[in-house]
Amino acid sequence: MSSQAPEERKRRKIRLEDLLNNNIWDVDPRPHIKLDTSKCRDCNYKPCVLLCPTGCYTTHGDDVLFSYEGCVECGTCRVVCPEEAITWEYPRSGRGIHFRFS
Amino acid sequence: MGDRFDVIVIGAGPAGSSAAYNLAKKGFRVALIERGRKPGSKNMFGGRVYAKPLEEAFDGLGKAPIHRWVVKERLSIVNKEEYVTVEYTGRGRKSFTTYLTDLTDWMAGRAVDAGATLITEVVVDRLLMRDGRVAGIVSGDDELEADVVVDAEGVNRLVLERSGLVERLTLRHVALGVKEVIKVDKGDIEKFFGLGEDEGLAWVFMGSVSDGLPGGGFFYTNRDSLSLGLVIYLEGAVQGMRRHIYDMVEELRIGPLFSRYVENGRIMEYSAHMIPADPRAIRPPRLVWDGLIVTGDAAGLLINMGYTYRGVDTAAYSGMLAAKAIEEADGDYSASRLKRYEEMLRNSYVGRDLEKFRGVHDLYMNPRLFNEYPALLTGLLRRLYEFDYEGYKFSKAFSEARRGLVSLPRIFLDLLEVYRKL
Amino acid sequence: MGLDIIVGIKYVPNTTNVNIDPKTGTLVREGVPSVVNPHDLVAVELALRLRDRYGGSVTAISMAPPHAVAGLEHVLGMGVDRAILVSDRVFAGADTLATSYVLAKTIEKIGRYDLIVMGQETIDSSTGHIGAQVASWLDLPYVYYAIDVEYTGDGFIVTRELEDRVERYRLAKPALISAKMYSLEPRQVTLRDKLRAVIERPIETWSNKDLGLDPNCVGLRGSPTIVSKVEFTPKVPRKNIIFEGDLREAVRKLVQALVEEGVI
Repeated sequence: MSSQAPEERKRRKIRLEDLLNNNIWDVDPRPHIKLDTSKCRDCNYKPCVLLCPTGCYTTHGDDVLFSYEGCVECGTCRVVCPEEAITWEYPRSGRGIHFRFS
Repeated sequence: MGDRFDVIVIGAGPAGSSAAYNLAKKGFRVALIERGRKPGSKNMFGGRVYAKPLEEAFDGLGKAPIHRWVVKERLSIVNKEEYVTVEYTGRGRKSFTTYLTDLTDWMAGRAVDAGATLITEVVVDRLLMRDGRVAGIVSGDDELEADVVVDAEGVNRLVLERSGLVERLTLRHVALGVKEVIKVDKGDIEKFFGLGEDEGLAWVFMGSVSDGLPGGGFFYTNRDSLSLGLVIYLEGAVQGMRRHIYDMVEELRIGPLFSRYVENGRIMEYSAHMIPADPRAIRPPRLVWDGLIVTGDAAGLLINMGYTYRGVDTAAYSGMLAAKAIEEADGDYSASRLKRYEEMLRNSYVGRDLEKFRGVHDLYMNPRLFNEYPALLTGLLRRLYEFDYEGYKFSKAFSEARRGLVSLPRIFLDLLEVYRKL
Repeated sequence: MGLDIIVGIKYVPNTTNVNIDPKTGTLVREGVPSVVNPHDLVAVELALRLRDRYGGSVTAISMAPPHAVAGLEHVLGMGVDRAILVSDRVFAGADTLATSYVLAKTIEKIGRYDLIVMGQETIDSSTGHIGAQVASWLDLPYVYYAIDVEYTGDGFIVTRELEDRVERYRLAKPALISAKMYSLEPRQVTLRDKLRAVIERPIETWSNKDLGLDPNCVGLRGSPTIVSKVEFTPKVPRKNIIFEGDLREAVRKLVQALVEEGVI
């Protein structure tokens, strides 16, 4: 990394995890999204994986792995899921994402 | 609960805060219920708001958090490394840039100052129905009654869905907006774009930035930060996505259009939100029921004019009209009395512009807009401007650039379509 | 035989993801919203469960600037009955000693109480001092890492959980306990309770006029702790290695790499 010109480094993508580190959440220990993963195996496109802006959905072989902690509550996953495998609620008690500069 | 409210407003966003403000100032007892820890904490938008409707809805802009008044507009058509930009510099001051999180907090503050009761950290689960009419709201095990409810819950309208008043959101209904807010030195922003101290730039772009999918990008200058983002229509995206949406936004940031502006910047926030897409799909079959008025994004009141989106001002304006309709209903909140709201909305700039620009969505569904035409345009200009000795005649450059991309009759028909719908 | 319980809370910056400015090396605090210290919410939950079980009341107290009222509203929204914000400029800059002194005097002024519940520690300073110090100011029996409390009428049987064992203590009332962090899931804010918090506003603000404490014993002046220097632990660069292969093989490689690094 040190051998790289500063210009080069600046023009590199920031990893999603690092991008998300700039956000503030108050994560509820109780997930606000439930995924019936049994329905994911046969899902052809798995659109949630590429369309969830915060990468909450990842694949492992034919399976979809899911974590709700980085969710910004946009609701896209529920809309794009062809299998209706997602039960989506808003986090309660003011928890979840806390936008400050958007 | 002994305390009774005249009106419950679901959601302290632009629409809800405006409704609550306009009702409270007329002496209505208003409960403004917000799921976030504070108003604005769940809100996100592209980056600019048109001022006048907001000014009308809140009786002035007072201490509203205005970052920069837009005086420069840019529109770019992008084909990978090449792009064509049109820039307009005018007198401006019709719209301003800001953080919606702050602006919403200000709007809700106006409602509270006018006497509305703000209840944060509470999620409304569904409507309380009694004898076939809306009689209040339900949150968990608790109910709260009121004479009339204003639904301003936003685009992800779970309350309306659960109450069976609208169909489940589908791909046609919504687009996805993702943005990065990047801290940049205030002076640098002004230097980069030739802006005065409170002057701003609004920049939209389309073409290969959305990987050929229906959508486009936006870029706004805030006081000391830049908002850069992308909108993707979900209809085409489910099967057409080639990489992660985050990758597309990051590619923009480090790509030829923006890297020089943001390279010394620090990311402040990464946010995403759904946006009403096809106005004919997302608009509920009706906007009033017995005891209920639907406003803002929940009512699909976002106008895509093709070169700019308007959703915040229309939301605030619809909230104001909802308040007016409730006032005029004079205690009779039946659907037939509240219909006044639909009528006022239809006759307002919101209704007229929604009607005027209703076809823009169809244009956006034309894949040539994002693939062939950007390639044609940049191909044409490349031939016209980039040569060593001998130049091109326009006609030759055009026919070469067009080759293999799109036929002349097709261009003619598409242009006709654009002309009709814009 | 209701229980009157006092619970202490701190309103702290939500530092779950704290960013360090790469240029200055300092924390980016711009616009970081505050939350009720998550470990205090466990104390609130324990207090509410005891109230639900035995009857009585829960009073939340916090020594903080006025903006902490939002944190008190949050716990009122969970069902706390009453809240007291202890707020005065002379209390500013307090270390744990000066803070615990003010809290102890606040509790004395409240007067009637059977049990005080605190969180194990805060996420912004992690000292874990306050419970023990308040107990010693008030000369109360104190048990920390508490996960459950049984009320016996004249005292409590407190269960505390350590790494390797569970202990039970018999305490005379009044007593003070610290709730073990993560031992209970804090309940949600409800519409009913939040509405009550907003409409009835059972929040009092006490200043030093109400407490009448010697300014030399509170705030910065009453704080013997001196923070001489703050050093950040060096950031260990991440290696970003992705272990390929099937799960079993990948895990084996991972373990091997960790062993080689001396991590395990």
